[in-house]
Amino acid sequence: MSRDGWNPYVAGSLTGLVSVGSVWFAGKYFGASTTFVRAATVVEQAVAPEHASTLDYLVKHAAKMDWQAYFIVGIFLGALAAALLFGDFKVEAVPPMWRRRFGNSSVKRGVVAFIGGVIAMYGARLADG
Amino acid sequence: MNSDLVYGLVTGVLFGFLLQRGRVIRYDKQIAALRIQDFTILKFMLSTVVVAMIGTYFLYDLGAVKLSIKPMIVGGVVGGGILFGIGWGLLGYCPGTSVAALAEGRLDALWGIAGSVAGAALYAETFPWIQAKVLTIGDYGKITLPQVFGVNHWVVIAGVTVLAILFFRWAEKKGL
Repeated sequence: MSRDGWNPYVAGSLTGLVSVGSVWFAGKYFGASTTFVRAATVVEQAVAPEHASTLDYLVKHAAKMDWQAYFIVGIFLGALAAALLFGDFKVEAVPPMWRRRFGNSSVKRGVVAFIGGVIAMYGARLADG
Repeated sequence: MNSDLVYGLVTGVLFGFLLQRGRVIRYDKQIAALRIQDFTILKFMLSTVVVAMIGTYFLYDLGAVKLSIKPMIVGGVVGGGILFGIGWGLLGYCPGTSVAALAEGRLDALWGIAGSVAGAALYAETFPWIQAKVLTIGDYGKITLPQVFGVNHWVVIAGVTVLAILFFRWAEKKGL
């Protein structure tokens, strides 16, 4: 099967059309980071409910399965379908480029990925993106 | 399930499918873009932007859609952009599409997803201070480039499209 994937101009342009269709039919622009705040609300309400209720930002973003939450579920399912269909699915804890430079430790890779996730999401929220 | 949620799910499936086919949810591709070795990601993203920009403004002119304009707050956009870039370089996935990377079998994306939830919680923790001290720096409100330049939006759209095509030609010539 095609491990080379599709031409990025074609896949990207088709994604643009999907975005236009989403705005046209559902009035929704692509976005994902609000759902991570709602997920944080779920976690904090479970482990520290009293503290969570004092944070306006979490109160404002209550747990909710809305358009965006289903959008993210869809992204997972769509990517899974394509990966299985085109023989691209492969369990991998350490990416090749990382392994060549930093070795085979999945913990080392995981810790840096976690820190990266914290910083990237903090920045995304700060920029309102 | 109401229609809003069905639209969300279907749109996500199409997007996830195209992300996978475009090979853009891979650590090696994302980091290779940041190392200026392989511009697959940039070709994909800029193609999406150009098509979506033209299509959305076409429908806007017909009165069929509303725009969603984010405020230009220098403190938030520039500060957030710099942090996002540092985090992206460490994670090697975009937080929003890290679920697609996970679906491809990339287990390290799971750590990134957990970190992203923690980052959102950290933002909630610091929000009162951020709101008072950072989101007040250079607040220009909901402005657009056509407004700033005082031109019709199609002038900006044409300009961005030409720049994107020139960039694509350059990238192809350099083999990036």
